Order: sequence, then structure tokens, then C-alpha cells
Amino acid sequence: MNTSWFPVADDHDIIPRHVVRASLHGHELVVWRADDGNVNVWENRCLHRGVRLSIGSNDGAELVCRYHAWRYANRSGGCTYIPAHPADAPARTVQCATHPVALRYGLVWTRLDGGDHDDPPVLDALESDPFVLRARPVAASAAAVLAALESFTFAPVGAPPDREPTVECESVPGGVTVTATVDDVVERVVVFVQPVGLGRSVVRPVRSGRPADPMVAWRHHARVLGRFVDEVERLPPTDADADGVVEVAVAPPVARPSSDRRTVRIERKWTTADQIAAFELVDPSGEVLPVIQPGDHIDVHLPGGLVRQYSLTNAPGESDRYRIGVKRTVDSAGGSAYLHEVAAVGDTLEISVPRNHFALRRNVPDTLLIAGGIGVTPILSMAQALARVGLGFELHYFASSPAEFAFEEILEALGPSVNRHVGLDADATSAELERLLAQPGPTRQVAACGPPPMLDRLRRLAADAGWADDAVQFEYFDSGEVDRSSVFTVELARSARTIEVATGVSVLDAIRADGIELASSCERGACGTCAVTVLDGEVEHNDVYLSPAERAADDTLLTCVSRATSGRLVLDL
Amino acid sequence: MITLHDYVLSANCYKVRLLLSLLELEYESVAVDFHPGREHKGTAFREVNPMGHIPVLTDGEHVQRDAHAILVYLAACYDRGGTWYPVDDPARLGDTAQWMAFADATASTLSAARLAINLGYDLDLDAARLGGHEVLRVLDEHLWFQERAGHDWLVDGATPTLGDLAVFPDVVLAEEGGVDVLDYPAVRRWLDRVKQWPRFTLMPGVFPFTTS
Repeated sequence: MNTSWFPVADDHDIIPRHVVRASLHGHELVVWRADDGNVNVWENRCLHRGVRLSIGSNDGAELVCRYHAWRYANRSGGCTYIPAHPADAPARTVQCATHPVALRYGLVWTRLDGGDHDDPPVLDALESDPFVLRARPVAASAAAVLAALESFTFAPVGAPPDREPTVECESVPGGVTVTATVDDVVERVVVFVQPVGLGRSVVRPVRSGRPADPMVAWRHHARVLGRFVDEVERLPPTDADADGVVEVAVAPPVARPSSDRRTVRIERKWTTADQIAAFELVDPSGEVLPVIQPGDHIDVHLPGGLVRQYSLTNAPGESDRYRIGVKRTVDSAGGSAYLHEVAAVGDTLEISVPRNHFALRRNVPDTLLIAGGIGVTPILSMAQALARVGLGFELHYFASSPAEFAFEEILEALGPSVNRHVGLDADATSAELERLLAQPGPTRQVAACGPPPMLDRLRRLAADAGWADDAVQFEYFDSGEVDRSSVFTVELARSARTIEVATGVSVLDAIRADGIELASSCERGACGTCAVTVLDGEVEHNDVYLSPAERAADDTLLTCVSRATSGRLVLDL
Repeated sequence: MITLHDYVLSANCYKVRLLLSLLELEYESVAVDFHPGREHKGTAFREVNPMGHIPVLTDGEHVQRDAHAILVYLAACYDRGGTWYPVDDPARLGDTAQWMAFADATASTLSAARLAINLGYDLDLDAARLGGHEVLRVLDEHLWFQERAGHDWLVDGATPTLGDLAVFPDVVLAEEGGVDVLDYPAVRRWLDRVKQWPRFTLMPGVFPFTTS
């Protein structure tokens, strides 16, 4: 396969909210520009049912498939939402095949899967003031067009008529540079040839320098190129026509599962509120970061083996950086203190790829978003996602003082849907929550994040008010201390092992010490990653993840914090 | 009372339905069993239109046949702004008529290919597709230069005309006939602009312009 860079569109063609279909070497591409100016070139195929994404819609941040409305994020091409599964965050492996993009000389360039990271050709003739002329499709292969271009000739625009121009042709990567001269009138045009597919190409001329009268130059070159295309299309097809063209549907490269850890650089650090530092994190080499879904968090690995979870506050499509807010905690083991005092712009941090234990349903017309303190961070990403798709929401943000409201710029952009509650004590907070939760309904949901006492009250009030369990989503950002004094036995049914869990040791650590691998993330009973099925025994639920109904069923255990009230637990491991 | 003898999959009927919607006119649709019944070629229908073509529009006593004639009639009667068929501006009126006539070329190529694919008409499909590409090249070049000159529509000026309306249906449905519009980016942008007209309506095979 030819993996050189080729232009596939005129930059001018990629207008806001439009979706362009293009092709290179028989590979169909979808080209679209997000509202932040970023141009995406992807394989033109929804990963769900193979429908062309080019018939979908561009919402300015995401490309939405016309068929079942799967949404794909700007830059990464990662799927952010599957309407048929509203309660689930899409798997991170659902990711469109993306191609590298470069904007140069007024053209959009891309290349098919290559490996190295070179750039499109650099041509001195076009370095100052390149002027894009009208491209023309040709019913002939790129090879045939390139061969014909060797004898391409034209009169420079503005030259006296009836004079033979002197023409020089010089090959350049993917095209030719043609210089036409009549007396002192010199015009130089670089003609790039885009191999579209079998027997099809597009010639894309770019003039060196802006002409005195653009419309005259466009018209002139449209005529010149029209004559050239007519001649090429009259030539008999040659063997070269099939050269290097892949016309069959080729299975795209599978989206590489991102490794779990990656390094990011602190691009920006600022104080967004009293005791809250905000960070923007980017890939050190400018690569695209893995897709973000509303409610996502990342693990940040800090010196001394500390791991802390921080929610991303990003809006949909804001995929070039991760934005987090870090509250300085008094009893911090050093995580927040390190980020506040030591971490500086330009430093690198180790993070995990985003994870989601706080999925936002986007099929509910009316969402009540409730945030307490630093718990606002995931709520902000949710509010921006709802605003983007035009779903109704109210955001209630509780803080002790006006100085504690973080990310003012995002709150302001969200407008009147944001309600601030300042300085309420526990009783006043409860009263306010009770008022907010007074009217459950089939078209409403609640998503909440805040300190444990507030969320505990909220969950109780929601249950009392008649909200269904699955209409109330929440995420704790801190879990209380766990009493790990008990001693008990864990039997692993499938592994036929018996493990003693000693005082001060979690079930998770005890199982791992026995050589069995078990995934975990927060290790504070909040995320649900380390949940296992309980076959027998009584569980002491110390987590904040399971719902009351799930706790009562006693068939799931979060191994990081929960323990046994019976002397013996049997787990499905 | 306006009545339209109509077939849901007909591009020519669609352009009339579109103008009825744009002009906010109430009408009654009389479904003609065009396929597979070929009702339009039957004795009864030929009493409505001896040419055996749809659409046919009746407005009170007046019976109008031929899609483009219907467009002119409706614009003359009901377009109070007088923008769709600009009789006060000879150059724009001439251009409007020219683009309405261009739709005859899309009908014999793009629409013919679609009839062959969708309804099994026995005609030279390759020739229809080749001709379709020829008309799309002309259309794309014209629209590209219109954009550069600051015009959104086929005819110079701030508002669309019956020219846009007449050409739109066959072009938006071109890929149903296997005529790939990949090579015509200016045409695709114009289709998006047409779809953003207030009170734009759809037919099967035409997707709305959406941004969410």
C-alpha cells in the first residue's frame, strides 16, 4: 500500500458542521471539522453496522452515525455514547480508524496506515501565499494523470493572448510543479494528484502566490484544467491504471487497545478556587489522548506509589487535553499536597487511561445534577454533554463559601441552568436536597457527586421520595476509613484455594498475595472494578458503590474494602 | 382546495410537495399506484393527465400537469414574496428557467439510473450513470464558482429559486441510482444548504441536515 501523504480535500471544503466524503487508494474516508478547528480524517464506516459515517451529522464535537446514533469523539474517534445502551459507557476499544491529518498549502492531507510520522511534502514554491485553484475529478488513474502531466502546459494568467508560453515541469512528491512564462509574466502552479481509486483521481492545483484577481485566475485555470482532463480521459487505459490501487474493502487496522498507563505533561496549572488547583494534561508528543466519556476519571500515579483518582471536567470533543481539579485535603497522605505544591507546568505525570464508573444516561429529558464541593468535576463533564445534545438539566452546586466554586468559566458557559448553594449546614443541605428531590418521574434522573455524608443523605432522601434505584447515579469522591480488624477465611471456589485474611489486610491483597490476579482501580470501595461474586457467606459491605438492593442480595463483594461478618466467605474465583 | 396526484418515491412529486410545504399550503394527496400497478398509464388516470405522467395538481377548477409547470403555477399564485420565480428580474428569471431545464438532464440520467435500480426499469444503466456524472460535473463547477462569488444558490442573488428546487431531488437521490457523489463536494455543500430551508420536508432516501 502506498503510505505517502496525499491531499484528500480542499481546506475550504471542510465548512462548519459539514461532513465530507473522500477516498484515497480505494479507501473511503470521512472528513469533518470540529468547532475547535480540528480536522478529522477517519475510515468512513460506523463500527456498529458499517454504515458510511459521511451521511451522519457533525455536532461540532462529535460525529453521529445516521443509523443508530453512535457518537464518535473529535480527534480520538472513540465512541462516547451508544443510545441503545444508555446506562453503559461504551467499551474503549470502540474506536474509528483514524488517519493522520495535516493542513498545508490550503489542502487537507492524510496518509494511510504507515508507521513513521513524517510530514506532507514541503515545496518552496508554495511556502508564501499558496492559492488553491479548483480541483477536478478525473476518470483516470493517478499514474496516467501523472504521466500526462509531464507535458502539461498552460498560458500564465494575464499573459498577452496568442503567445506560446515557455513551460517547465518538475516532478514533486505526488505531483508536478509547472512554471509557465510569457515575456515577464511568470506563473507557477503545483498540481497534486490524489489517487482516489481504480481509474479515478483528483487533480488539485495550487498556485504560487495570490493572483491580482482571484476570480479571473480561478476561471482561467478551470478552463486550462478542463481541457487537460478531457485529454487525459480520452487516452486509452494502461496497465499503470491499476498500479498501487486497493479497491476491495480492506479490514481496517484494529484500534490498538491503549496500554493502561501513559505519561502526560502538565500544560497548564492554575488555582480555580480556594484550595483547588486545576490542571490541564496533554500528551508530551502531541498525540491524541484516549476518548473521554462524561463521568470519566483517571488514576494519577504519584511519587511514593500513591494513586489518586480525579474526574475529568472536559466537554464532549475536547479531546486534546484532560482537565482535572485537585482539592487539597488536610489529612492527605501527600497526593494532593504534591500536586498543589510540587507539580509544575512542564512536569510529566503517569496516569491511567480514563475509566468510567459513573455513566450518564442521555435518553432522559430532565437530569438533576447535584455536586458537593470538589464533587463538581464529573458533574461538569455531564452538564456539558447534556447541553451539547440539548437535553434538559439543572445543576445544583453546594459549597461552603463563594470562593470554593471551581471552574467558573465552565459554569458561566452553562448559563442559567447552574444553581449555587452557599454555606448551608447539614440540616439546610438536607432540606434543600429534599426540595430538589421532591418530584421523581419517569423522564427524570439524578446524578450526584460529593462528600459521603451528603451523598448518603441524598440516597436516603431519593429513596424516600420514591426515585427508582437506577434513576439515581452517584459517585463518592472519598470513602471513610475501613475497620480491618476482623479475621476470616476466604474460599475461592473455582481455584480450589483457601486463604486466610488477616487483620489489616484487604480481601483483594490477600487474594493477590496468593498469586491470583484481580483488577482494581480506586481501592477505596468507590469504583466497582474489584467486585467479585459471592457464593456463600455474609458480607460486611464497606463500599459506597453497591446500591441498597445489591447489598441486601449479598452476592457481590468489593474486595478492596468489604469483609466478612461470617467466619467464611466463598467467592466465585 | 389543492389536490396532488402523488407517488411517494417520485422525485418529481417530491419537488411539488416540497414547494407546497415551503409555501405553507394545505393540500390533499391522492396516491397513484405508480409501481407496480402502473396506474398512471391506465385509462382512468389518462383522463386526468393524457400524458400519463405524475404529478398532477388541481387547484379548484384549474388542473396543472408537469412538475415544473406546477412549480411555476404555485409560485405565481402563492409566493407572496415573489422570490421563487423572479419575474421582475429578467436575468434571474432566465437563469431560473435554465436551471429548471437542467433538471430535465438530471431526470434522463440520475433519475433514470435510480428507476433502473429501484423499480427495475429496463434501460441502459451504464449510459445513465455516465450521463449523471456529466451533469454533476457541470453542477459542481457552477456551484463552486457561485460559492466563490458569494452566492449560495444556483441563480445569483440572496434567495433560492425554483431552479434549486427543480434540480435538488434528482441530485440528492443520485446515489440510489449508483451515481457516486464523492467527487462533487460543492454539490454536497449545496445539498446541505437546501436541507436547511425553513419547512424543508423529507422523502424516503433523503436524510435531514442535522447537527446533533
